[in-house]
Amino acid sequence: MTVEEFPIKQDLKKKVRKIETGEQRHVRHEAMEAKEVLNEIVNHFSGNPESMDYFYERFEALYCDRQKPHDDKKVIGTMCVQIPDEIIYAAGAVPVRMCNGFYADEQVGSEFMPAKSCSLVKASLGMLKSGTNPYCDDVEMIVNPTTCDQKTKTGSVMRDMGYDVYDMELPPVKESEEGREYWRRSVRKFTKNLKDITGEKVTRKKLKQTIGKVAKAQHSYHRIQQLRKAVPAPVLGKDIFLATNAFFFDDLERWTEAMDRLGDEIEQRVADKHNAAGVRTPRIIFTGSPPIFPNLKIPLMIEQADAVIVADETCSSNRLLNDMVSVDEWFLYDMVDAIADRYLKSCTCPVFTLNEDRQRRLVELYKMYNADGVVYQSFAGCQVYELEQRSIAKILEENGIPMLYIETDYSPSQSGQLSTRIEAFVESLKSRKRKLA
Amino acid sequence: MTKIKNWVNHVDLRSFRFWFQLAAFVLLVYGGRLAIDLGNSLPTFSCGYNRENGGVCYLLPLQHQLAQPWSRLFSGMGLAVLTGLGTFVLWFIVINKGWCGYICPLGTIQDWITALRKKMGIRYSTYSDDQFKKLKVIKYVLLLLLIFIPLGIGGQFLSHDLGTPFCKICPGRMIVPMFNGDFSQWVIDFASTERMILTALGMFITGLFLVGSFIKKRFFCFFCPMSALHYIFAKLSPFKLIKDGGKCTRCGDCYRVCDMEIRPIADDVVSVDILKDDCIMCLKCVAACPEEGCLKVNVLGKTVFEATESGFKKRMTPPEE
Repeated sequence: MTVEEFPIKQDLKKKVRKIETGEQRHVRHEAMEAKEVLNEIVNHFSGNPESMDYFYERFEALYCDRQKPHDDKKVIGTMCVQIPDEIIYAAGAVPVRMCNGFYADEQVGSEFMPAKSCSLVKASLGMLKSGTNPYCDDVEMIVNPTTCDQKTKTGSVMRDMGYDVYDMELPPVKESEEGREYWRRSVRKFTKNLKDITGEKVTRKKLKQTIGKVAKAQHSYHRIQQLRKAVPAPVLGKDIFLATNAFFFDDLERWTEAMDRLGDEIEQRVADKHNAAGVRTPRIIFTGSPPIFPNLKIPLMIEQADAVIVADETCSSNRLLNDMVSVDEWFLYDMVDAIADRYLKSCTCPVFTLNEDRQRRLVELYKMYNADGVVYQSFAGCQVYELEQRSIAKILEENGIPMLYIETDYSPSQSGQLSTRIEAFVESLKSRKRKLA
Repeated sequence: MTKIKNWVNHVDLRSFRFWFQLAAFVLLVYGGRLAIDLGNSLPTFSCGYNRENGGVCYLLPLQHQLAQPWSRLFSGMGLAVLTGLGTFVLWFIVINKGWCGYICPLGTIQDWITALRKKMGIRYSTYSDDQFKKLKVIKYVLLLLLIFIPLGIGGQFLSHDLGTPFCKICPGRMIVPMFNGDFSQWVIDFASTERMILTALGMFITGLFLVGSFIKKRFFCFFCPMSALHYIFAKLSPFKLIKDGGKCTRCGDCYRVCDMEIRPIADDVVSVDILKDDCIMCLKCVAACPEEGCLKVNVLGKTVFEATESGFKKRMTPPEE
């Protein structure tokens, strides 16, 4: 009797699952993680704006169905908020921000970094290592600015993985004229060098056009920001974080249209005095290490604890879209310089020597958005945000602004303890609000 | 009221300035033909050598008066000097340094040269920070010279041939009358060594003015002693350029468009009255500021023009081609 003829063994053979490769397993883990967070964002809250569906679908398509966002265009990966999108678009390519928020990727990436380093950097490296992210294959070049030490040093790791890496030099001092000129030179050089990668020269006409397109996208974002000043809050912060996150990879014009639709809907809500949160819900300004999908853990916890995020000061949202290019004479290198200034001068990234701009920005946001408190997230190992905590806490205290400082990472393990702290903070804001009223 | 305010805050400053400057130019350069005379204490380069002028630049009578013999200067004549100065100050405080950005014929001519350069597709140049700091001192030196040289003449230490020294080297003397077809100032005066040196220097500076303002926006204004004299009285004016430092993100947009490369406009978040000595109050900075109410123009404490997000967008977004 042969093995095939033996009835029990045959039965067993049918039941044996196909063995997953490591890569497949990673893809599945990523998809699960994405799905879980999307489920939380969509289903754990009621009254989501209808026009948010576009964004929910974008994330599902990208991370669960692995649909690439840009089929026919060359992709330039960017590692930080300072890489000028306008110039990449003008060179005929699309910028995709490679900063990543997956816990699954953080696990892979931790191999390349010291134990006490930032989740975001580890996760970004992990994504590039596993190559599972849909745009990893397409990326022609990764532009890595010399921002924080960890990001700076990842340049060589990414090279070892076989990626083309372009180090873009960013000065550590942004106030000085030397710093400005240094960065302008970096950007001018980048503008010239980009041609070798994309094959398209950046021309005056094209750059003017793309400045206009990016500005239009920013206008649609600004409109929503203006509407978020309304009391009661018309929309939850988790949705805006998700929408601005989509700017990392989405088609620029499609994204702008979707934001315009979202803006229309929020405008209607403001007119209807629609309240997306509760009656006494405290209004929060979010600052610090950027929440990047699917790591929206802290924003979600805040809003599940009956607070609402009305504005933020992070490089995945407000800092990404707030400041616009201003040009005096529309010549190519006047535009390039103007773009350089946009990405350096008003940037409140903690890598720079001084942080007065960030201090003033937070106080101003607090006033403008009628906020009740600030939540400061810092990824454990993100030294620069950890370092700035003291000075930010000081200035906020001077202005009588309550702040909660949270040190966290991508792991799902500490959520119970964190949510308790957040709930306590929200409660204290509520009682403060009652007293003030 | 809000409608008017909205309209003002969304104004196309570029074309508003162009037409305003043109009107002011006609008034001051051709005013004499229309029997207009605004006196001779104007705080702007409405050159007295232009026979058809609609009013005279204060620096000309100032230098004349100061060159009086000291015995007269320190008695009755002194009163005339003070009256002149008083009239100058009264004129000046009406629109503060707006005289430079909106009225000065020499400034307007520089802006026209800039427009020509733009038409030709040539980019402007800028100074480095160091150069800027050194150059900005020159106007004070010129101001001191145009006061002390005439005083020296009056005290009989210096020759009368050095009279009205600044006018002799001012490009306005040669350029402004030209618009009335008068080229009589385009000469080097060989009557004495002093005159020869001064008029030759004037010729040279006029050349520099024409070339310089083609390369550098508002080239001459960095050296203008009138600007220095303005600044002494700037705090008296009810017409103010105001900054709310709390709203400033230090994006530097205002500094980028500033013809005078004034950095504090972007970097200084402490001063409220942000007017600096080089400022020509063209208000391009206000038009280029994206932060709601961060930069504004106040008259008697009332805001007449301020930065708005929507105004910025209207002015700064390139038209789709």
